[in-house]
Amino acid sequence: MEIETVGTDLLVVGGGIAGLMAAIRARDLGARVVIAEKGATKYSGAARAGNDHFMCYIPEVHGPDLDIFIRDRMLGQRSDILAALGPKVVRTWLEKSYDIVKLWEEWGIPMKQEGKYDFQGHAFPGRVKTYLKYQGKNQKPILSEQAVKRGAKIMDRVMVIDLLGGSDGVTGAVGVDTRQDRLLVFEARSVFLGTGIITRLYPNIIPALWGNNNHPFTLSGDGRAMAYRVGAELFGMEMMARHAGLKNYIRSGQGTWIGVCRDPEDRPVGKYLTEPNRYYHDMIMEVDKQIFERYQTAGLGPVYMDCRGISDADHDHLLHALEDEGNRSVLEHFKEEGINLKRNPVEFCTYEMRSIGRIVMNEKAETSVKGLYTGGEESTFSISGAATFGWIAGGHAAEYIKAVPSTDTASLKSQVDELKGFVEAFQNRKQGSDWADANRALQHTLADYAGPVRSQTMLEAGLRHLMRLKEKLHDTVVARDRWELVRCLEVVNLFDMAELVFTGALERKESRGLHRRSDYPYTDPLLNGKILVIKKVDGRPVAEWRDVPR
Amino acid sequence: MPPAIEHEICTACGTCVDVCAEDVFFGSKDGELPVVSHPEVCFHCYLCVNECPSEAIRLTTPMAMTVPYK
Repeated sequence: MEIETVGTDLLVVGGGIAGLMAAIRARDLGARVVIAEKGATKYSGAARAGNDHFMCYIPEVHGPDLDIFIRDRMLGQRSDILAALGPKVVRTWLEKSYDIVKLWEEWGIPMKQEGKYDFQGHAFPGRVKTYLKYQGKNQKPILSEQAVKRGAKIMDRVMVIDLLGGSDGVTGAVGVDTRQDRLLVFEARSVFLGTGIITRLYPNIIPALWGNNNHPFTLSGDGRAMAYRVGAELFGMEMMARHAGLKNYIRSGQGTWIGVCRDPEDRPVGKYLTEPNRYYHDMIMEVDKQIFERYQTAGLGPVYMDCRGISDADHDHLLHALEDEGNRSVLEHFKEEGINLKRNPVEFCTYEMRSIGRIVMNEKAETSVKGLYTGGEESTFSISGAATFGWIAGGHAAEYIKAVPSTDTASLKSQVDELKGFVEAFQNRKQGSDWADANRALQHTLADYAGPVRSQTMLEAGLRHLMRLKEKLHDTVVARDRWELVRCLEVVNLFDMAELVFTGALERKESRGLHRRSDYPYTDPLLNGKILVIKKVDGRPVAEWRDVPR
Repeated sequence: MPPAIEHEICTACGTCVDVCAEDVFFGSKDGELPVVSHPEVCFHCYLCVNECPSEAIRLTTPMAMTVPYK
């Protein structure tokens, strides 16, 4: 295996929205930047084909008082996550968000509709609208270009597999080339993790189609796993979310739908909308993702997204928004099937469980490990969380590195050798299971033991079984080529995170959100305002309750 | 299963191979028709279709992904 060493000030792991913004900002401030991206930066990540909604605070639209905006925002969508982040992070985010909007506009991402800021979707009628409608189809090429022209070095087809250093600070990372037999050793004074949402922990609704999901298959939470292994704090791994949308064809895009969720008798299934509305999509699909599944299992379904009755202008707007949100494939499929949204209600369904565990991050995008920064879905959510905290992280990393000496290569040798051995083990085995077998075993273990209903006995049995499977993964799984090797390394990360899901779920002795315990069916008020932090101590995950930072 | 390459139109430029983040075309050789090695992980992002200079790629929809409607 060839080994290549790359020296830099800031290593950005993941060439997504967050990573690119971190790179751009750090370059502006003079730091050397390398972006290591598992796929191809211009075309990778959940944002690759575009998005259409950017959460932000614009004084000229929302009024001059940010505190009033925040107060109203905390009454809206996903406020549970905002509450867990704490007021400092939320305030910093929203305060900075308009600057990011203006930068994006300057760089060529259309952030206005007909010359005006237009807020649409993800809001309840009568409440503050906080998502700016924008056209993000070309956001990845545009942001990649901004990074490259500032001199950021993009290394595509590189999967970073572990961080170097320890809980006292990062000193770099190790990566594998996803196509050639090459190991990369990054000597970096600081690292930014932006590897996005975690998929593949639970079986998706059509398990045989790995790629049929609203987030790319390659988003295996690598950043979170590496953060955990280097000793950083994570939180909320036991907390779950589900998404919902088109039945069978799993896509994102809630605010895009100008329609009403109706049952077979055309009755709205939620209480928020009775007629399609361009400015307010049917919030029932955000408030109660499981409504579609419940109707199905009760025999009351199907539930449809019904866009009948919308104007031609709204229909046009909807189709364009679908494309801006990266859903051209849906438009093509509708064409293939002869589906006309003005005439044909389309079925919606509930998608699979996801862990919404995140890396603990403060308002400076710092993790609990020195020199390690994060942003985007790793620590917040949505495009705006990625763009804003990527930017913030880049700024702080560029400042931080000024006082950090360059890494002593010799000190990394033993860690590098261990990782090299770990990778080679998958390559050198002659026979055994493959990555897909291991991933499936993981998925049904999580679904069966840490699924919709949990309990002490089930969680303990599940964790015990998981650890046995983990041994099999590390000792018997074979990578038959480079592509499979990358998949094996992703599954290693997924297993580490599954262990944290079980650890957190065992410790959280209550029911809250989609974490439901049959042995603790109530929500414990004593745990309000707290997060469950997990950290590696002596090689094992240890969970500890902590107040949300004020 | 996605994607499908029209052999008569494809010029083997390798753009789709460069674009695909999931490396669905892994193992394709320079100057040769791309191989669809891993259709099962296709994310249906349409970027290979968009970027193909010859319009030689079609994304197929697996039957299991067909959207029901009335």
